[in-house]
Amino acid sequence: MSDTVRIALPTGDLRAQTASFLANADIGVGDYGAGSRALRFELPDINGVARVFREKDIPVQVALGSYDIGICSLSWIEELNQRFPGHEVVRLCALGYGDRELWLATARNGVMGTSPRIVTEYPNIADSLARRLRLPRYRVFGVWGAAENYPPEDADVVLIEASGADAVSASGLSPLAKVLDSSAWLIANRHSLSSRDLSAAIAKLLARGLPALDGGPRLEVPAGLDFGAAKPEVRRSGRLRLALPDGHAQVHTVAALRASGLDISGYDEDSAECRPRLGVEGIDVKVIRPQDMPQQVALGQFDLAVTGRDWLFDHKVQFPASPVEEVVDLRRSRYGLAAIVKGVDADTVAGAVVEWRRRTDRPIRVASEYPNIADHFARERHLGRYSVIPIAGASEGFVPDDAEILIEGIDTGSSVRANNLTVLERFFESTNCVIANTSRPEESLRDVFESIVAKFASGAADLATAASGA
Amino acid sequence: VLRPDSTIAAARLYAEQPGEAAMKLFYSQDVFRFTDDDAPRHEWQCGVELIGERGVMADVELILLALEVLETVLDERPQVRVSHAALARTVLAAAGLAAEEQAAAYDRLLDGDLSVIAEIEARLPQLNSPLHLLFDVEGAGSAYIANVGAALGPAIPALAAALSELGEVVQTLERVGVTPVVQAALARSFEYYSGTVFRIDAGGHRVCAGGRYDDLVALVGGSPAPASGFALYLSPIAELLPGGSGVTGPVVVEAVDPMTALEIARELQRRGLTASTVGGSSGRRVVVAQDGGFAVDTRAGRSAAATIDDVVRLLGSGE
Repeated sequence: MSDTVRIALPTGDLRAQTASFLANADIGVGDYGAGSRALRFELPDINGVARVFREKDIPVQVALGSYDIGICSLSWIEELNQRFPGHEVVRLCALGYGDRELWLATARNGVMGTSPRIVTEYPNIADSLARRLRLPRYRVFGVWGAAENYPPEDADVVLIEASGADAVSASGLSPLAKVLDSSAWLIANRHSLSSRDLSAAIAKLLARGLPALDGGPRLEVPAGLDFGAAKPEVRRSGRLRLALPDGHAQVHTVAALRASGLDISGYDEDSAECRPRLGVEGIDVKVIRPQDMPQQVALGQFDLAVTGRDWLFDHKVQFPASPVEEVVDLRRSRYGLAAIVKGVDADTVAGAVVEWRRRTDRPIRVASEYPNIADHFARERHLGRYSVIPIAGASEGFVPDDAEILIEGIDTGSSVRANNLTVLERFFESTNCVIANTSRPEESLRDVFESIVAKFASGAADLATAASGA
Repeated sequence: VLRPDSTIAAARLYAEQPGEAAMKLFYSQDVFRFTDDDAPRHEWQCGVELIGERGVMADVELILLALEVLETVLDERPQVRVSHAALARTVLAAAGLAAEEQAAAYDRLLDGDLSVIAEIEARLPQLNSPLHLLFDVEGAGSAYIANVGAALGPAIPALAAALSELGEVVQTLERVGVTPVVQAALARSFEYYSGTVFRIDAGGHRVCAGGRYDDLVALVGGSPAPASGFALYLSPIAELLPGGSGVTGPVVVEAVDPMTALEIARELQRRGLTASTVGGSSGRRVVVAQDGGFAVDTRAGRSAAATIDDVVRLLGSGE
C-alpha cells in the first residue's frame, strides 16, 4: 500500500468550514473551499489525496477502508453506529465547528401516540430511539429528505436536523426532545490507525488545538416524553392526495403541470412550499423527495405522485409485488441509467468483469444512488461476487478507486466526459411519470382521480405529438 | 515454600548481592496461586530475570529470547503483544482517578468494558475524545504508536516518554522481523510493572508474559536497580507441543462406579491431561456410560466418544 494518506471530505453544509479548518491547519486543498466541482484533490502538505463525498457516505467509506481519515457530522457517524456497532470507524475528535442538533418533533398540537409513524433521514437512529423508548409499536420510514413536510398526515413524529428548538418551531413543528448534539468530527479507519503511519496528517490536523468537549458524544434517549393516548387512526380527509417532487425535478414537473392545464401556486421552477395549492377542487398537494414517492404511494399515504421512472424501477426491483404502478409517462426529464467505469480497457460489462477478476479476487464494488437497481443489474449481468455500495451523491468520483462500476443517471454525457469516464452500457431510459396505488381511491374520489390522470395524460400526449411532428 | 511468583525471590537474591552490576537469572519451579474459578492453582513455570540493566535493548533481548524458546518448541508461530505500563497509568492519573480507581478502571479495560472510556473522557474534556484510539484499537507495529503520539501527545504531554520508549522497542523488533501487536492495556499487574510489558500467545493461549519492574528491587530492601523478566507458562506450552493432547485445564471424570471413574482419570493423566474424579465443573467433563462409551462435555457442547483416544481428541478440538 502506498504511503499516501487518503482523506474523505464533505460537500454540502460543512464544506466551507472544513476548507477553513484545513487552511488553518496549513493543509492546502486546491479550490475545494471555493466550491469546485472537482471531486479529487492532491494534498501535498501531508502527502495525501482528498476525495469529496456527501456527508452521509463518509462514515461508510471510512468504515470500508477506502479512506484512512474523514471529516463529517457526528449525526452520520451515529447513523452508521446504531446499525453496525462493530464498524471500523474510530472517532478521533470533535473539530469545533458545524454545530447542529437532532430533534424529535411532531406536528404542532399533534399527538404522537404509542404507535407512531416516524419519518427521518436517520432511520437507524430513529429505530434505536424507538426501541430504547420501549414504544410497543412503531414504524420508521427512512426518507431522502423533506422529513419536516410529512406531519401530521404522513407522519406522527419526525427526527430532523435543526439548529435548535426555535428552528424546529419555525418549520411548523413542535419540538419534543433533542437527542444528539452533533458537530464536525475527525474520524479514521481502525485498520489504518493500527498499521499505517498517519501521524504527520493527524499532527497537522490537530496542531492548532481543539475545543474542550463538554460531555460525551452520545445519543440521548429522552426521558418523560408524553406519548399521549393511543392515537386514533388517521382518517382520510375526503380529498385526493398528490405528491410533487422538490429539487431538480421541479422544473420538469412545473412544465408538465402547465402542459396539462393544471394551475398551481406555491410551486415553481425555483421554489416550493410544503403544501402548494392546485387549482382543482378536492386535491391536497404536498412536496416530498421523488425518491420517497413509490414507497409513500404504495403505503397509501398519497393517491398520486409525480416522480421519475428510475425511482419507481428502484422500488419495484426491491418489492416486485408492491401495489404501485405508473399511470402516465410524462415524457420529460429524460435521461438514461448506465453502467459507468474508468480506466478499463473492455467495452462491455462482461469484458470488464474478466479484467477485474484478473486484477483482484475481491468482490466487484457497485456504487449507486439506486442500490436496488445496482443489485438487480449485478445479478442480471452475472457479476459473480459483488457488493453494492449505496451512495448519496458526488457519484462521478467513485470509480475507479472506491468502486469498480457506477450505476448512474446520465443525460447528455457531459459530466461523464468531463470526468474521463466510460459508459459501458446504457440499460434503462427514465422520464418523469405519474404513479398511483394499484388500489384506486375510494368511490367519492374516483372522479377527481380520473380527471387529474386524464389531464396529465393529455399534456403528455401533446408533448409526444409535438415531438413526432418535429 | 509454596511460592505464587518467582520474581520477588529473584529480586531478593539480587538485593542480597551487594556490588553486583547485572544479573541474569533463570528459574524453573512450581508456583501456587489462589484462583476464583476452575483455573489450576498449581502451575509449573520457568522464567528469566535480567536485573541491573535498563534500556530498550534489555527489553528487546528478553522478548527475543522468549520468542526463540517458543519457536524452538512449538509448531505454531507465537504472537508478541507489547505495551508500556505508563500509558494507561498516565491517562488514568490525568483523569484524576485515585490509585484504587485507576486499578479498577484498568481492570475494566482489560475485561473489554469499553464504557469506561467514556467515563475517562468525561473527566478529560480538554482531551476531546481520542481515547478510543488508545484503548479500543490494537496496533500493528510502530505506525500505531506514531498515530497515538500525534493524537494524544498535545493533550497529555506526559505520555511522550512512554510512547518514545515503546516506539523504540517496537521499531527494534520490526527491524529483526517481528511485528508486535501494540495495546495500551495488556498486563494484569497494574501496579507491578514500570515500563515495557509484553505477552506472547500461541494457539489461543497465553504462553509467556513479562515486562520491566524497576521499582521491585528497592521494595524488597535493595538499592534501586532496573529489572525486567518473563515467565513461560509450561502447562499450555506442554499441551501445544507437537504430539501434545491439545487440552488445557482440568478434566473431571464421572461414572456410576467411582473406581471406573478413577481408572479413566488415571488413563487420561497418563496421556498428559490434568484429570480427576472430584472438583467443580470446569466445562470439560467426561461421563462414562454404562455400555463403556463416553460422553464428553466441552465448550463446544456434548459429544459421544467410543474410546479414550476419541475422548482426548474431542477434549482437544472443543477448546
